[in-house]
Amino acid sequence: MTDLIPLTALGAVDARTARFGALTLTEDDSLGLASLTLRKGQAAPTPFGLTLPEVGAMTTSGPYGAFWTGANQWMIIGAGQGTGDFAALVHAEAPNASITEQTDGFAAFHITSAAGPDLIPALMAKLVNLPPAAYAPGHATRTGLEHMTVFVLRPSDTQISVIGMRSYAASLWHAISVAAARLEHVPV
Amino acid sequence: MLIPHPLLGLRDSQEFTYLGDASLMNRPDPSAVTAEADFCDYVFLRDNPAGVHRELWFHEQGDRSWLIVTRNTLTHEILGAELARDLPARGAK
Repeated sequence: MTDLIPLTALGAVDARTARFGALTLTEDDSLGLASLTLRKGQAAPTPFGLTLPEVGAMTTSGPYGAFWTGANQWMIIGAGQGTGDFAALVHAEAPNASITEQTDGFAAFHITSAAGPDLIPALMAKLVNLPPAAYAPGHATRTGLEHMTVFVLRPSDTQISVIGMRSYAASLWHAISVAAARLEHVPV
Repeated sequence: MLIPHPLLGLRDSQEFTYLGDASLMNRPDPSAVTAEADFCDYVFLRDNPAGVHRELWFHEQGDRSWLIVTRNTLTHEILGAELARDLPARGAK
């Protein structure tokens, strides 16, 4: 059988990373994603021990996490689960809900600040039209970023993650890196 | 323009797409005797009010909910927004 080499969303063998001063932008090529939707009248399950979060919120537990995407609908994420059948894992945890594999539809980028939490809102102010409360730590939301639909996740005060459609991963990387480069020499 | 989403707070109207008059939620009964004329009105005829208007907006770059936004077409002032699914099927007006 032909040996196929898997490529990341940005088209390379290895995930891309770049530093802009105190900000580090990293492509995550191993994030597993699956959407979980409740059917009518169902009670919320607790996949991987996660309590499915309220409107606009996210929660994590070890390598797993969940964030709200709509009424009775969440995205379940699993760090390092991008190569296996993540939807099957989630389905085993929540057999009654509707689970759909999303891993290959999306590209995930993590932005971490080595200079404290203030740089994150400074960067996001250049990228999305949202009040800072919408991406405060523990929050997650969906919005437009340069006309592209993205999920914005804030797992901690010094990290923010942007998850966008895989087909425009390069445009998303460009948008974030241009904004980050403009903050490179801002004193913190 | 900001739209006060009932769940997510103030959101940029660019995240939304506009469908039209909220009375579109009141679909005519297809089994009625007057169904043909009713659907002709439903599909083709629209009021064009100068003033307060209830209209359907879809939060496309958001939680993908349908909202009924009350807007003043003269001033573009947004007077309120509610989730379309919270309203009875034929209670949009």
